[in-house]
Amino acid sequence: MTGAWSFVASLGLILVISGLALKNAALLAMALPYLFFTLLPLWRNLPRPDWRIQRELEPDHLKGGQPCEIKVRLTNMGQELEEVHITDMFPAGVRIEGHPEYHGEFKTGQMETLQYTVRGVRGNYEFPGVSVSMGDLLGLSRNEEFLHCSETLFVLPAVEKLEKIKISPRRTRVFTGTIRSRESGAGVEFFGTRAYVPGDPLRHLNWKAGARWDLLITNLFEQERVADVGIILDARSIVELKTDKDSLFEHSVRAAASLVQYFLEEGNRVGLLVYGNYIQWTFPAYGKQQRAKIMAALAGAELGEHAVFKEFRYLPTRLFPPESQVILISPLRGKDVYPLRYLRALGYRVLIVSPDPIAFEKPLLPHDQFQELAERIARMERNATLAKLRRSGVQVVDWDVTGPLWLALKRAGAGMRR
Amino acid sequence: MILWVRRGAAVWSGIFLMALLFSSGIQWGGMAGGILNLAWTMAEKFPSSLRRFLLPSALVINTIFSAYGVLSGGPVTWAVLAAGGSLLSWNAGLFSQRWPEASRPVQSRYLKRIGMVVALGLGAGLSALAFQGNLSLPFPLALWAMLVAGVLFLCLISQALPKATRKFP
Repeated sequence: MTGAWSFVASLGLILVISGLALKNAALLAMALPYLFFTLLPLWRNLPRPDWRIQRELEPDHLKGGQPCEIKVRLTNMGQELEEVHITDMFPAGVRIEGHPEYHGEFKTGQMETLQYTVRGVRGNYEFPGVSVSMGDLLGLSRNEEFLHCSETLFVLPAVEKLEKIKISPRRTRVFTGTIRSRESGAGVEFFGTRAYVPGDPLRHLNWKAGARWDLLITNLFEQERVADVGIILDARSIVELKTDKDSLFEHSVRAAASLVQYFLEEGNRVGLLVYGNYIQWTFPAYGKQQRAKIMAALAGAELGEHAVFKEFRYLPTRLFPPESQVILISPLRGKDVYPLRYLRALGYRVLIVSPDPIAFEKPLLPHDQFQELAERIARMERNATLAKLRRSGVQVVDWDVTGPLWLALKRAGAGMRR
Repeated sequence: MILWVRRGAAVWSGIFLMALLFSSGIQWGGMAGGILNLAWTMAEKFPSSLRRFLLPSALVINTIFSAYGVLSGGPVTWAVLAAGGSLLSWNAGLFSQRWPEASRPVQSRYLKRIGMVVALGLGAGLSALAFQGNLSLPFPLALWAMLVAGVLFLCLISQALPKATRKFP
């Protein structure tokens, strides 16, 4: 029953009670039209529909700002409905273009399609289902129903095309790739020399060395293989800086997505750890499916405030294969130096891509002498932190997020040690 | 179509209310009822917030005025007719607010449904009064008989109506 029914029923009852109390037959006669309005929905049950529902998201993985067309097909296989109001429930944060609702009658076997477009920023958006409100034409009775038809839309982070990144983990995998493996074999980079043995290709003979030592010397080349790359995205809210339109974390996510794309395209085995609220781990694997998995994980990556993950002390290093390459994307705090040194000491090759929080925050602050002084102090602290890490053998890329990542990697590449 | 039915019903209830109140000697009530129903007739011209408030409040005030007119010795028939018109206008207003773009067949179906309910209500009310007079029944008994008869009749019509309006290919 609806509010309108209660309203008329109340008026009718007031008239009946007044008529009985005052012993006035006229008031009772006046109540009859109201009572008929009240009795009608009690007499007539609302018809029972039998819904078939299907949702289509095209595409269900998209980049920020791209449109996704949503179609919800509803078919009534039950009784005819006089008036139906159908609304597709959509999650907060998406921008709707079109009308995700239908209002009208619904006959047996009739099919209606709710069609509209959504756009959104990076994230996972779940469309839970459809709300159906069925009523009679007089608006006196109404049934509400929720039809579950859940689908998730993944709005993926933007990806930047990266140029060659030099990494050299201690241990590589057996398949041929692009990462130097510290072992001689088929390759293009010079690795060393040794005495010639029958069977060595003659074109690898090193004539100069042979002339000096009066021996046949052959050149050795370094094998290039694929490697395990573990990417850690720092999602601790303690290191986050945010403005109305921009967020340092979003830049970190973009960097992670770009690095994932690059290393998977190079044939490496890549895993992702989002370190924030809990340990969100995507197991290392190769190829396009892994790319889709990691991108979905990055689409849903959120900042966390869990006290346990406030520092890198509890970084689950066992998740990464021994002596593999670990890439951390973090704005960094002074307290992070020790756990990262420890990671390096365990034998991992560590590369840190650090979005610069000072450069990010600088345009938002007033430009005066105090701000300049504060910036200089903060810059000194940050430089000291980065220097400590570099001294420990950690490769650090200091990235001003106003510029592209590939440029920062290229600039840092010249100074990177092997 | 619904809009004009709603306006017509508002005018109808306004006329009977004024007649009832003037005949009972309540001049101010007749004037107030007339103005209220005139405003109700033009409800679509008002802002939606005011319209939402006006629809139920007009029904309440019309009911109160009708009851007051009857208690003051006015003719009961006019009170029943005014109440029926008010109900029709209120419900048609609700429908046009809820479903302004309703197609013509839907409007026709709605009018049949509301017409049936209002006609039954008015018929039962007026017949109850007539029965009481002609058969010298105690009024509660006449009322009970009319209510039962009306409900049965409603059931009969509601079962027959879908068959009558079904379209054959």
